[in-house]
Amino acid sequence: MPDQQVTEFLTGRIWLREHAPFPREVIDAHIESGHIHLKPGIDSSQSTFLFWQLNKYVCNRCHNSNQTLFHTFDCARCNKKCVYCRHCIRMNRVSSCSELILWNKEPARGVKLHEFNWSGTLTPLQQKASEELLKSVERNESHLLHAVCGAGKTELLFPAIFASLLEGKRVCVAAPRTDVILELFPRFQKVFPKTVIHALYGGAPDQEGFAQLILSTTHQLYRFEEAFDVVFVDEADAFPYYADETLQRAVVKAAKQGATIHYVTATPTDSLKTTNKSFLSRRYHGHDLPVPMFESLWGYNRRLNKGKVPQKLQEWIEEKQKNNIPFLVFLPTIDMLENFPGDLPRVHAEHPERKEIVMQLREKKIPGLLTTTILERGITIENVHVAVVGAEQKIFTASALIQISGRVGRSFNYPSGDIVFFHHGITHEMDEAKSSIERWNKL
Amino acid sequence: MNCLICGSPFQSAPTWKSLILYEIQPNACTRCLIKFQKTDHAIDFSDFQGTVYEGMVDEVTGLYTYNAAMKNYLHQYKFMQDVALSQVFAEQLRHVFNQTEGIIVPIPMHPEKKRIRTFAQVDELLKSAGIPFQHLLTKIATSEQGKKSRKERLEASTLFEVIGKVEAKTYILFDDIYTTGATIHQAGKALKDLGATKVEAITLIKG
Repeated sequence: MPDQQVTEFLTGRIWLREHAPFPREVIDAHIESGHIHLKPGIDSSQSTFLFWQLNKYVCNRCHNSNQTLFHTFDCARCNKKCVYCRHCIRMNRVSSCSELILWNKEPARGVKLHEFNWSGTLTPLQQKASEELLKSVERNESHLLHAVCGAGKTELLFPAIFASLLEGKRVCVAAPRTDVILELFPRFQKVFPKTVIHALYGGAPDQEGFAQLILSTTHQLYRFEEAFDVVFVDEADAFPYYADETLQRAVVKAAKQGATIHYVTATPTDSLKTTNKSFLSRRYHGHDLPVPMFESLWGYNRRLNKGKVPQKLQEWIEEKQKNNIPFLVFLPTIDMLENFPGDLPRVHAEHPERKEIVMQLREKKIPGLLTTTILERGITIENVHVAVVGAEQKIFTASALIQISGRVGRSFNYPSGDIVFFHHGITHEMDEAKSSIERWNKL
Repeated sequence: MNCLICGSPFQSAPTWKSLILYEIQPNACTRCLIKFQKTDHAIDFSDFQGTVYEGMVDEVTGLYTYNAAMKNYLHQYKFMQDVALSQVFAEQLRHVFNQTEGIIVPIPMHPEKKRIRTFAQVDELLKSAGIPFQHLLTKIATSEQGKKSRKERLEASTLFEVIGKVEAKTYILFDDIYTTGATIHQAGKALKDLGATKVEAITLIKG
C-alpha cells in the first residue's frame, strides 16, 4: 500500500529525488514497490560534426534545450564531468547525476463533492462568453477567450471550472506572474469553499492534501508532468510566457495527453491556436476603452541625460499632481528609470518593495509612480492616469501598449482617464495599439 | 552573450588592452558588475594580538564588501550550486594574483561537505581564473564556521592538517569570505608551524 501523503504529493509531479519532502527510506520503499518511477536529470545525445564531438543536452524537468544554459563541471559527488541546467536552477539544481521522481501507478483521485458559492451577476456579453467556454470545456475542445482589459474575465471561468471539478477532473489555472496568482487565490477559495486548492509560486508555503484545483505560475508547471485534465492559461500574452518557449512547453507537459488547454488574454497573438473562440469587447461597466493620445517629445533622451524633464512631460505630471490624480509613468529601461530627475518614487522588477509602493499609490500616500513594463498588467488603481515615455522604443510592442492603456478607467466610478504616448516618432506598434482599441470600441 | 547573473544579453566593449594583451572576457553585464563594491585597503586583524595566532598571518586583502549584490551572488553560487558563477570574478582575481608572489593555497572544504555541495567553491574561483594552486591543507573538523561565535571559532581545536611539504617560502591563502579571521589564522598557523616564512591571504569578500 502506498503512503497516502506521498501519493497525494507526487501524483502528477516530477520532483528532484534529493529534495523530496519525505524521508529517504520512504521514497526508496515506493521505488521498490514500483509506485515511483525514476528519470535522469539531464538527457544527453551525441553527434559528430567532422571531427568534433558535440553533446546536446535536454533538462528533463524544464525541457530546456538551449545549450548555453548548460554548464559542465567536475562533480565531487559522482566524480565525473557533470552537466547541470541553469535555466531552472532556482527550483534546486538538476544535474546529470541527480534523479527525478515521478508517480507511476495508483494515482490520487479527485472527489466529486464541490460547492459553487458565487452570487455575482454577469453582463449579457460576459454570460454569452462564459457559456461558450463551458461548452468547449465539456466537449474537450480548446478555447481562446479574448477579453479586453477590465472586462472581468476571471468570473467567466467559474462555471467551466465547477463543471470540470464535478466530474472529478483535476484543473489548473496558470498565469505567468506571481502577483496574479496571489490575487486569484482568495477569490477562488471563496467561490469553491469545499475544494482543496493550492496556490503555487516561487516561495509559496507547503500545502497539504491532494489539490484538485491548482493555481500556479507557469514557471511552477516545470514541476508537473501529465497532471491535469483541464488547463486554463490566464494572460497568455504576458511576459515571460510568450517569449519563453520552455514555459509554453511546460504547460503542454503538465497537461495529460488528450487534455485541452484553454487561453485567456487581452491581446492574443497569432501563435495561439484553438478550436473555438469568444471575444469580449466591452468592459464590465459598459464604457469605452480609453483611446491613447500621441504626443511628440522630440529628443527626450538628450534632455533626460542632462538631468532635465522634457517640458511637455513636466507639465503633464504637474497637472496631475495639482488635481490630485494618481499617475503612472512607464519608462522603457531600468537605466532611464533610475536616472530620471526628481524624487518621484520608482519601481522595477528587482525592487524589493514593489507591492508596498503600489499600495501607497492606491492609498494616495504618493502622487505618482515611475515604472518599467513590470506594472503593465494585473494592477488596478482607481482613477489612475498613464503616460508612456519613449513609446516608440522596441520594448513597447502593440500588446504591451494595449495592456498599459488598459490600466486606465477600470473602475465603475472613473471609467475614463488620460493615456498619453510621449514619443520620438510614431511606430507601427503604436498605431496598431491605437487602432485595435478604437476598433473594439466600435464593436 | 548573456549575463551569467541576470541572464540579459549584453556586449562588452572591445578595448585596446583586450586586443593586445590576454584578458578574460567579462561574463556578466556592467549593470550587474557595478553593484559589487570594491574595498582596496588591507584587512585589520590586530584583534589577534596577544593570542597564539599573533603573527601567523602577515597580510590579508579582501577584494569586495559583503553587500546585497554579493550576498545574492554567493547564495546563487554556493547554495543554489550554480558553479558557472565562478567565472564572474575571473579577470579580477587573475589581476590580483598576478601582483603577488608565492604558493597559492586555497582554504579546503571538508571532503564530506564537498561531496554534498558537489564542488569546492574556493577552488572553482581559482580554476576559472586560470590560477595555479596547491592543496596543502585538508580540513579535519566538519562543524560549520558560520554558526559559531568568534570566541568559539578560536577555541575550537585545529581545523586543518597539512598534507604535503611546507618549505621556507611565501604562501598565499585564498578563501571566499573573511568574517572573523579565525579560518585564515588557523590555516596560517598550520603553515608557519611547519616552517613557512611568510603567509599572506586574499579573500574575495571582506564580511
